Amino acid sequence: MEKIQITLNINDKSCEVMVYENDTLLEVLRDKLDLTGSKESCGEGACGSCTVHMDGKPVRSCLTLAMEAQGVKITTVEGLANGDELSDLQQSFIDHGAVQCGFCTPGMLMSADALLKENPRPDDKTIRKALAGNICRCTGYTKIVEAVAHAGNPKDHCLDCKSAK
Amino acid sequence: MSNLNPDTNREFDVIGKRIPKLDAAQKAMGRAEYIQDIKLPGMLFGKILYCKYAHASIVKIDTSKARALAGVHAVLTGQDVPKKMKMGFYKDNPPIKKGKVCSFRDEVAAVAAISPEIAKKALDLIEIEYEELPGIFDPEKAMEKDSPLVHEYHKSNVLKLPWKLHYGDVEKAEKESDFVVEEKFTTQWVTHCCLGTSGAIALFDSNDNLTIHTNTQIPSLAQKDFLESLKAMGLENKRVRVIKPIIGGGFGSKLDTYAYEHIAILLAYACRKPVKIMFDRVEEFKATSTRQPTVIYIKQGCDKNGKLTFRDMRMILDNGAYTSWGATTPSVMMMPITSLYRVDNVKYNAKCVYTNNTYSQAMRGYGNPQATFAIESTLDMLAQKAGIDRVEIRRLNRNQPGDVTPQGFKISSCGLSECIDEVEKELTIDGPKEKGIGTGIASLIHVGGGARIYKSDGCGAILKMDDYGKVDIFTGGTDMGQGLDNITAQIVAEELGLFVEDINVVHSDTDVCPWDVGAHASRSTFVAGNAALGAAKKVKETILEYGSKLLDADPKNLVLKDRTIFVLDDPEKSMPIDKLLRKAHFSPQGKMLMADFFYDPDNENMGKEFKGNMSVTYAFGAHGVKVKVDEETGKVKVLDYVAAHDVGRAINPLLLEGQVYGGVVMGLGYALTEEVVTKDGQNMNANFRDYKLFTAKDAIRIKAPVVETYDEYGPFGAKGIGEPGCVPTAPAIANAIYDAVGVRIFDLPITPEKVLAALKEKKSATTKI
Amino acid sequence: MRLPKFNYLGPKTLDEALDLLDTYKDDAKILAGGTDLLVRMKKGLLKPKVLISLKALNELSYIKKQSGFIKIGARTPLADIIDSDLIQKEAKALFQACKKIGAISIQHFRGTIGGNILQDNRCHHYNQSDFHRSGRQACHKDGGKICYAREEADRCNSTCQSDGATALMALGADITLVSKSNERTIDLADFYTTDGIMPHACESNELLKEIIIPVFGAHSSYQRLAYRSAIDYPIVCAGVLLKPSLKNEIAEARIVVGAMGRSPLFLAQISSSLKGKKLNDTIAFKKAADASMDSSATFAVHNVGATLEYRCSMVSQMVFQALEQTAETIKA
Repeated sequence: MEKIQITLNINDKSCEVMVYENDTLLEVLRDKLDLTGSKESCGEGACGSCTVHMDGKPVRSCLTLAMEAQGVKITTVEGLANGDELSDLQQSFIDHGAVQCGFCTPGMLMSADALLKENPRPDDKTIRKALAGNICRCTGYTKIVEAVAHAGNPKDHCLDCKSAK
Repeated sequence: MSNLNPDTNREFDVIGKRIPKLDAAQKAMGRAEYIQDIKLPGMLFGKILYCKYAHASIVKIDTSKARALAGVHAVLTGQDVPKKMKMGFYKDNPPIKKGKVCSFRDEVAAVAAISPEIAKKALDLIEIEYEELPGIFDPEKAMEKDSPLVHEYHKSNVLKLPWKLHYGDVEKAEKESDFVVEEKFTTQWVTHCCLGTSGAIALFDSNDNLTIHTNTQIPSLAQKDFLESLKAMGLENKRVRVIKPIIGGGFGSKLDTYAYEHIAILLAYACRKPVKIMFDRVEEFKATSTRQPTVIYIKQGCDKNGKLTFRDMRMILDNGAYTSWGATTPSVMMMPITSLYRVDNVKYNAKCVYTNNTYSQAMRGYGNPQATFAIESTLDMLAQKAGIDRVEIRRLNRNQPGDVTPQGFKISSCGLSECIDEVEKELTIDGPKEKGIGTGIASLIHVGGGARIYKSDGCGAILKMDDYGKVDIFTGGTDMGQGLDNITAQIVAEELGLFVEDINVVHSDTDVCPWDVGAHASRSTFVAGNAALGAAKKVKETILEYGSKLLDADPKNLVLKDRTIFVLDDPEKSMPIDKLLRKAHFSPQGKMLMADFFYDPDNENMGKEFKGNMSVTYAFGAHGVKVKVDEETGKVKVLDYVAAHDVGRAINPLLLEGQVYGGVVMGLGYALTEEVVTKDGQNMNANFRDYKLFTAKDAIRIKAPVVETYDEYGPFGAKGIGEPGCVPTAPAIANAIYDAVGVRIFDLPITPEKVLAALKEKKSATTKI
Repeated sequence: MRLPKFNYLGPKTLDEALDLLDTYKDDAKILAGGTDLLVRMKKGLLKPKVLISLKALNELSYIKKQSGFIKIGARTPLADIIDSDLIQKEAKALFQACKKIGAISIQHFRGTIGGNILQDNRCHHYNQSDFHRSGRQACHKDGGKICYAREEADRCNSTCQSDGATALMALGADITLVSKSNERTIDLADFYTTDGIMPHACESNELLKEIIIPVFGAHSSYQRLAYRSAIDYPIVCAGVLLKPSLKNEIAEARIVVGAMGRSPLFLAQISSSLKGKKLNDTIAFKKAADASMDSSATFAVHNVGATLEYRCSMVSQMVFQALEQTAETIKA
C-alpha cells in the first residue's frame, strides 16, 4: 500500500504529511507530527482520551481516519494555549485540582472547551452530560466539573479560582 | 521514637494551602511525557504472545516462520528464559512459560521487531500445539482433594501461607453474646483501569548495565527484581537504573513487576537495542492484575447493650495461577478485622487458593474494602437484631486515641467519632422515610503512618540548595498523579521559608533518588514527607548556623520566612536566603548546603501471631450515603455522598479532596457496576464499553469534610489518605439499599438484577406468611 | 489499535458513491461516522478492501417535513436530530433514543442516524478482540458453526442493540435504499432480517439514503435500560406509538421491543390488542407489557451482559413505562 500526501490544518498551521489510508488521525498526530498531547487509552471510542476538535466540535481521533480530517480545522490540546499562555479553561483545571495523573486531561479539556464555546455558563448537569464521553479514573469528576463551571467565569468564584485568591 | 513535629498550633505559609499540582500545567498543555510518548533512537517494538487456554500443556512451539520475517530481531520462548528468572513474592511465575500454561494471560512467546505491526505479524506466525488440561476456576472446588492441580510441584492448590490469628476467646465470647449474626459474602474481581496503559522500554549499555523506563510505583523494589533477573541471565554485578516517566494512574497496579518488563529486558539484551513494549487496552485488562475476589464467612456478636463481643471471619481468596501481592492482602484485611471498632475476641483465617484464573495484585485498599464490606454490612444487621440505632452502635464501639487493639495497633490519634459527627451533620441518617430512599453509613480504619510489610518501611531524601535560593530535592517517593511532588515541595518550602516554586522535586530515577519501599499503603505523605522534612531540618540547621554568624544573632532567635532569614526580635536585621547561600559558598573553605535523611518509621513487622504495631498511626473515616432504589428495575441511584476522613492534617486540602473524591467513585464502581466478567478463566469484558466505569453523568458531587487530629508523628501532623476513600463505600451503599427497600445484597457488585431478585424473593416470602 | 489495511475512496456525489459501490459490492463498506464500523475493523471483525466515505455527501444530511412525512437523510448527525424541534414534537421516540446513544461527543458529526440503524448486531462472545477469538473455534457470525451464547444453536443469536432502530420501527418508519440502477422504499420492519449474521436486508450495491417517518397525529415514547447513563448499549429497550381517536381511545398502537433479539421486535398482535382501549387503562397497558415480555423472551439469549431473566422481566417494565409516558403526552 502506498503512502498518500495529505494536508491537515492543525492548530492553525497547515501540515503536509504522508499517511497510509488506514491511519487514524490520532496515529498521525502522535506518531508523525509528535503532537503527543492527544492520548490513546481504549482505542475504540469508549474513553475520550483522544478527543480533538474538528471545526470546533469534539471528536474521537482514534475513530477518525486521517483521510477524513482533511479540509477541516483541527485543534488539539497543544492548540488550546497561546504559546505558554494558558487558556482560562486550562488554568481553571489546574487551579481546581482537576488534573491528577493527567492522562484523561487533554481529552477532557477538549470536550469541555467545546461545551464552553457553545454555552459559557453551563450548570452541573449540562457539564456532566458534555463530559460523559470522557472517562477519568482519578478525580471522581467532582473537581473537573468545578473547573469547567468556573472557567473564565468572573462570577461565582470559589476558593480555588485563581483571580479570587 | 523521635517526635519530629510538635507544630500543631503553628501558623503556616505553605502547609495547609490549596496549591495546584506542580505538574498540572504541563499535563494540561499536553506536554507531559508518559511512557506512551517516549521514543529512543534505534528503538525496537516488543510484543507478547499469550496462550489460548486456561490450562494446557505446550506440546510444540515452532517460531521459524516468525524468525524469518523481515524486520524481526528476536523471538523468545520459555526455552530462552533462564530457569531462575521468576516473579512474584512466591517466585512461582516465569516471565515466559515453558511446558505448561496455567491461565489465559500466560506468556508463551515474545518478539522484537522494527515496528509494532511487524511484531504483531510475527506473533501470528508462531505455531504452538497445545494439549488442553482440565481447568479449575472455583477456589472452593480447587480446595477439594481430587481437584486438578494448577502446579503439580506445589502438591496442593492451597498456598502455604500462614494467614491465621486468634486473640481472646472467640468461642467463649460467642456463647456469652446476646446477639450474633452469621453471613456469607462474596466479592468480585475488579481492576485498576489506569487511563494510561502499561509499558516499558529496556536498554543495555556496552557494559551490560540496564536502564529501564517503566511505569512503576516501586522504583527501588523493581530495581531489585530486575537485578535478580540480570543475575539469572548470568549478568552478575551489573547496575540497573529505573526511570519512571509520568504515570497515567497507579492505584496499586504497579506494585509488582510484570512479565512484560522482564520480557523487555530479555528482548533488549537479545537485540542489543532499546526495546519498547506497550500495552493496548485489551492487554491491559487481560495481562495486568486485579483486586482479589473473596468468599467471606463472618460471625459477629454483641451484648444486649450493643457492645461488640467477638468477630470470627474466614476467607477464601482466589489466588489465580500465580502469586503476587494479592496473596498477601490478608495481612491488611487483618487490620479492619481486628481493629475496626473495639472488639476483644477475634479470629481470622484466610486461604489463598491456586486456580486457572488471572492472578491478583495490590489495589487501592489492599484487601480492606473486601473485609470492611462484610464487617460493616453485618454490623448493621447486628444493630437491627439488638434493636440499637445504626449510628449509636458505631459510636458505642468506636476506636479511641490511646487504644491498643487486639493485634497490638497503637492508636495514637483517632478522629472516628468526629467523622461520624461530620457524616451526621451533612446527611440525616435516621430521618423520615421516603419510599425507595434510604441512607447508609460505614466506617473504616486504615494504615496512615506507613505499613511495615517489608524489611524496611523507609524512604530517603537528598536535598541540595543552589546559589539562587532554589532547592532540588531527590526523594525515593513516587508521584503517580496523587500529588507527592506537592507534598514534598510544600513541606520543604515551609521548613526553609521558601516558596513552593523554589522547590524542584525529583522522584523518577533510581540513579539519583534514594531508596524507598514504594508508593503503597497510603504511606507517601507520611513516610516520604517525613524524609523530606528530616532533610530540610538538617539544611535549616546549617542555614541558621551561618545566619547566626552573619547576622550576629542566636540561632534560636532566627526564622526563615519569605525567602529571608530574620532575627525574631529585631526584624530589621535580615538577609535574603540566596545571599546567605552565596556567602556560604563563596568564602574560604566554602560550603554548599545539602543534606540527606533516611526516615524509617518506628512501626513493627508483625510477629508470630501477627501482632505488632504495623503503622505508626492509623487513618479513620466514616462514609454516609443516600440512595434511591427503583423497585421496578432494581437500579440504585446515589443521591448524596459524604466521606469524612481523619487525615491528621491536610497538607494540601485541594489534592486531598481529589484523593477522597477519586477513591469514593472508585468505591462506587466496586459497589455497583464494576466487575471483570470471566468465563472459564477468560476475561469477557476486556474493554471500556463492557467494563462499566462510572461516567461523569453517573457520578455525583461528593462532600468530603476533613477532620484534623494532628498526629504527633506525621509530618506537620499528617496521615495518609490515598486509599481510605474507597474502603467503606460498598457497605455504606449496601446498608443504604437495605434501609431503602429492606433487602440486603451479599454479593458485589450490587447490580440492578441482584436487587430486583432480592426484592422479588422478599415479596414472595411476605406473601407466603 | 491499528486498523487493517483498506483503500479509502471519497466520492464527491451520491452517483459517484453508487458507482463505486456497484463496482466493489461486498468488498466495500460505507463509512459514515465510523463509530461502529471502525471499532469492528479494529477488532478484526471486518476487513473490507475498500471504504467509501460519505464525508462529502452533504446531500445526505437533512431533516425536513414534506407532505405528511418527516424525511431524514441517512448521514444526518445524531446531534442534529436531538436539536430538531420537528423531531422532538412529531417523533419523540426518536429524539429520546438519539439522546441515549453513546455520549455527546459521539452524537455530533461522527455518530449518524444511518449508522445507528445499520449498526451490526452484538454479542459478548463475538465482539471480542482478535486475539480472544483466535483462541477458540469461530462462532456463526465469525464464519464458524457454533454459538457460544446458546448451546447447540444452529444459527447466530447476536442481538440488535440499536436505539434508533427500535424507536424508528415504533414510529412506523420506512427507509429508502438506492443503488446505481434502482431505488426502493421499504418498511423498516422488513429491513431487519432476523438473521444474526446478516441482520440487514441490504443488497451489496445498495446504500441507505433516507428515513421516512409518517406524521399522523400519533405520539410516541422510547425507554431503555442500561448499566450506565452514557457510553452504553441498552440491555432492553422499547419504543411505543399510540394514536388517539377523537373519543380519546387508542385508535392505533405500535409496540416494538429492542435489544432482545436478532432484530427489533414489532409485536403486532399485542399492539392491536390495545385498539379501542382508553388512554388511562393501566390494566390493559400492564397486560400488553407482560405479553410483550412473554413474546420477546423466546428470542433473547444471554449475550449482552445482564442475565437473561432480568432482561426479560425488564421488557415488561420498559414497555409499560413507554405506554404510560405516551398516554401522558397525549393527555397533556
